[in-house]
Amino acid sequence: MQVSNILMNRKSFIWLVSPSIIFLLIIQIYPSLYSFYLSFGKIKGGQYSFTGLKNFTRLLNNSDFYESLARTGIFTFSFLLACIGIGLILALLLSRCTKFTTLYMTIIFVPMVLSEVVGGTMWRWMFQQSFGLVQAFLNPFINNVSILSKPWGAMAIVIAASVWKQLAFTALLFLGALQTVPKELFEPAALDGATRSDMFWKITWVIIRPTVLLASIMTTIRGINALGLILATTQGGPGASTMTEAVLLYRTAWQFGRFGDAAALSVVMFLINITLGIVYIRLMRES
Amino acid sequence: MLIRSRRQIIIDNIVTHGLLIFFCLIMIFPVALSLMTSFKTKTDVMILPPRFFPPEWTLEGYIKVFQSDLIPIYMPNSAINALTATILTVILAAFAAYGFSRFKFKGSRALQLGILGLMMIPGITNLVSYYKLVSQLGILSTHLIMILVYTGFELPFGLLILKNFFDAIPIDLEEAAKIDGCSTTQVLWHIIIPLSLPGLFVAFLLILVYLWNEFLFAVTLLSANEARTAMVGLYDFQTSFEVAYHALSAASIIVLLPMLIIFILGRKTFFRAMMEGALKG
Repeated sequence: MQVSNILMNRKSFIWLVSPSIIFLLIIQIYPSLYSFYLSFGKIKGGQYSFTGLKNFTRLLNNSDFYESLARTGIFTFSFLLACIGIGLILALLLSRCTKFTTLYMTIIFVPMVLSEVVGGTMWRWMFQQSFGLVQAFLNPFINNVSILSKPWGAMAIVIAASVWKQLAFTALLFLGALQTVPKELFEPAALDGATRSDMFWKITWVIIRPTVLLASIMTTIRGINALGLILATTQGGPGASTMTEAVLLYRTAWQFGRFGDAAALSVVMFLINITLGIVYIRLMRES
Repeated sequence: MLIRSRRQIIIDNIVTHGLLIFFCLIMIFPVALSLMTSFKTKTDVMILPPRFFPPEWTLEGYIKVFQSDLIPIYMPNSAINALTATILTVILAAFAAYGFSRFKFKGSRALQLGILGLMMIPGITNLVSYYKLVSQLGILSTHLIMILVYTGFELPFGLLILKNFFDAIPIDLEEAAKIDGCSTTQVLWHIIIPLSLPGLFVAFLLILVYLWNEFLFAVTLLSANEARTAMVGLYDFQTSFEVAYHALSAASIIVLLPMLIIFILGRKTFFRAMMEGALKG
């Protein structure tokens, strides 16, 4: 779009944009740089002393770090698979129905509108040891032990709760993409005797693939950094069985007060996020 | 249309709606269970085997919540933080988005990509440095710090949505007004703002819901009881109320109600934003 000079000059551009830029520099950029600074030192009695790579070597020699990394992997991978898979199925179903669509969408959207703490409270209650309603159904199969007290069970619940909370996001994103698929393409294909799955993979999938890819990266980023819902549901427990990297960061800083170590972990997570972010922006520009 | 028999279409419809109803029931079940629990008495919460519907409907749980700090202290705090930050974000983002949309400079594109990149960095990697910086400045547990952090955090997102909206407004109108002798301020006030009201509304709603629900910054930066937000208060109830799940459920319902109402009133806006990928961040 060609913009005439009558409308604006350089000065008004700067006036319009600089408040936001200054804000972001102070509130976002500076703290990010500050966490790098913190990660190379330690604070004792309010005094900062430079310790070089000590925080990082301690972090990388700690088995907690690797165990959390594995848990983050399991959590994120399951979360991603379910959000994309179920989200796609939901979007396909929604795109095929002509009645009650808004009603279905409204209900599916509710978990997205409520907070992580509220969601966590609800899921804890369903699986409460003695009086949880869903737990009562499961009791005969797992010998009356709360599923949240089993390491695998707690992980499964945390994943399920996270998928429940996030599902509307991918489903509606996919629904938007499905609506861009031209209907005219299906008729000749059907006349040629193509089956439904043929038509899905050869037509629909090709068109929505960029959206699926973008949604996958976004979901991965959210999975890696998921914290609020896990804290509200299990607080990382039992033991450390749902302690992902994000929970480890939170606990290191606010439970054990080891802010230097937490800052080092922040830097590691920052780098992981930046890498994914760059991939995301590349894909966004291509599409 | 596809060539399919009438019978096949009917079966398709039944399967589609059946599966959707099944999904909806799963999605709403935790919320419905909490709602039912919130109307139970303390003893009915602990009957075996547990039941879905309250045997006796009561407001006991709600009364207990009304006696807590949630309604006089925590909810007003949430409202002040979220509303102020949302308004500030929308104003700042609107100016910047308008600048980016209407004026092309060398480096403007790079600047926009940089801001988009900021959106990819989750709040969690800044938690530790915020905490350290804020405690050094002595402004832990204040509205000020929450508003600043929230605004900084939501600014890139607001900017992205609003720029898309401004890009869709034709520039001819503004040029005509300029030729007729309107100043930039007049153009902004009389043309741009009225035309972009829907966009400003979308940004406002999405950011408000996010910030009302925000938990991580609040739980790490607010330690004083009088500064706590509803989410932090609710998180603390989990331990202090223990098995008083009727009160805990009532608190959950009270906290989620304002945003649920906003969502139901503006649901079309949310859906459109979602399907167009406005929430891609």
